Amino acid sequence: MARKEKLMIIGGSAAGPSAAARAKRGNPEIEVTLFEQGQFVSYGS
Amino acid sequence: MQDIDVKTEHRVTKIDPKEKRIEVHNLVKSQTQWFSYDKLIIATGARSRRLNLPGSNAKNIFTLKDLDDGIRIKNYIDEKRPKRVAILGGGFIAMEMCEAFRLRNIETHVFCRRDLPVGNLEREISETILKELQENGVYFHTQHEPAGFKTNSKGEVTTFETHRASYQVDMVFMAVGVIPNVEMPKEAGVKLGKTGAIKTGFTQMTNLADIYVAGDCCEVFNLVSESWVHTPLGDIANKQGRVAGENAGGGKASFPGVVGSAAFKVFELEVAFTGLGTQVARQYGFDVDSQIIEAESKVGYMPGSKRMLVKLIFDRRNGRLLGTQMTGKEGVARRINTLAVSVHQKMSVDEIARLDFAYAPPFSAPFDPILIAAEQAGKKLQK
Repeated sequence: MARKEKLMIIGGSAAGPSAAARAKRGNPEIEVTLFEQGQFVSYGS
Repeated sequence: MQDIDVKTEHRVTKIDPKEKRIEVHNLVKSQTQWFSYDKLIIATGARSRRLNLPGSNAKNIFTLKDLDDGIRIKNYIDEKRPKRVAILGGGFIAMEMCEAFRLRNIETHVFCRRDLPVGNLEREISETILKELQENGVYFHTQHEPAGFKTNSKGEVTTFETHRASYQVDMVFMAVGVIPNVEMPKEAGVKLGKTGAIKTGFTQMTNLADIYVAGDCCEVFNLVSESWVHTPLGDIANKQGRVAGENAGGGKASFPGVVGSAAFKVFELEVAFTGLGTQVARQYGFDVDSQIIEAESKVGYMPGSKRMLVKLIFDRRNGRLLGTQMTGKEGVARRINTLAVSVHQKMSVDEIARLDFAYAPPFSAPFDPILIAAEQAGKKLQK
């Protein structure tokens, strides 16, 4: 089985979560990891 | 369940574009680990700028960028019941916080280098904002250069000093702009633009292979000035994020740019703008003229009708609308989008004056304020 493509995202406020959602929607096979240094994500989305 | 692995309290400390991996520090476990990527998106955002003054590390000096900051400010007010706050800066975050502090009955003093609040707006608009501040009991101090803070034994500010006076305060709020978080990507070789934010193009790619960028850490194309600028706003970040995500996933999306639209609220006043202001438009070589009008938001006899100011900024050579700024207590923020479309479409003030808008007395007069402003601007062009 082919290795899944990996997408890493740095930042979880506005652009990061939007990017994560869109990448996954456009390419359900891609493996998405999002890193956020704070406790909360998506407060700007 | 979107099957996205979200790791909070994880700080990315290094990008290694050669090996295509990132170094991540788990802040809870205090462990560092490398993760390899095929595609990477930088969405590191921006941080609040802090003035580096004597005493500026005091624990009751706040900035506001994220949810944590907001919670900190709220908790401090709940616990310490401050009576008086000094706000440093006069931009729109400062304006929004004026309202928030006054709602908590805190005596609010704004210290601004310029002579008017939100000094990058047109004078007439800023003057209206100043009046609104004063009517709501906010003290506005102009042309004060901040000098430092005196602190007590608990490490709290007790006195804020400017170059010409000192003020006893219980709390300080700094809103003096943001700095894009570019240091870590820059170290990895990601190129910055002239603005100091990360350089990108319409597909949100960086100069490095398989690395994309989106949001407050990068530049965006301004469709009016036709230049790459740094406009750190949440709506733009979300749109760029979608494009970066689509492309990183193998798609073909592009983000054409912005015209520079925004709105904010100061007490009862709505302030909204799009496109370029007079000064910036001049800097980009436009032959700038402007027209300001005052009109009612609805038919005058309708309850709730309020006066509004509309200032159109246009090019004298062809009448092209370059920007608009508006303020008033009703119907302003929703109207600006019409002008945003006009700026996008490079419409002339004559074309705008002939637009067919919806009319009914509860919503507008037969001649909407936008139509009146555009008509007046057109007359000015004929002279």
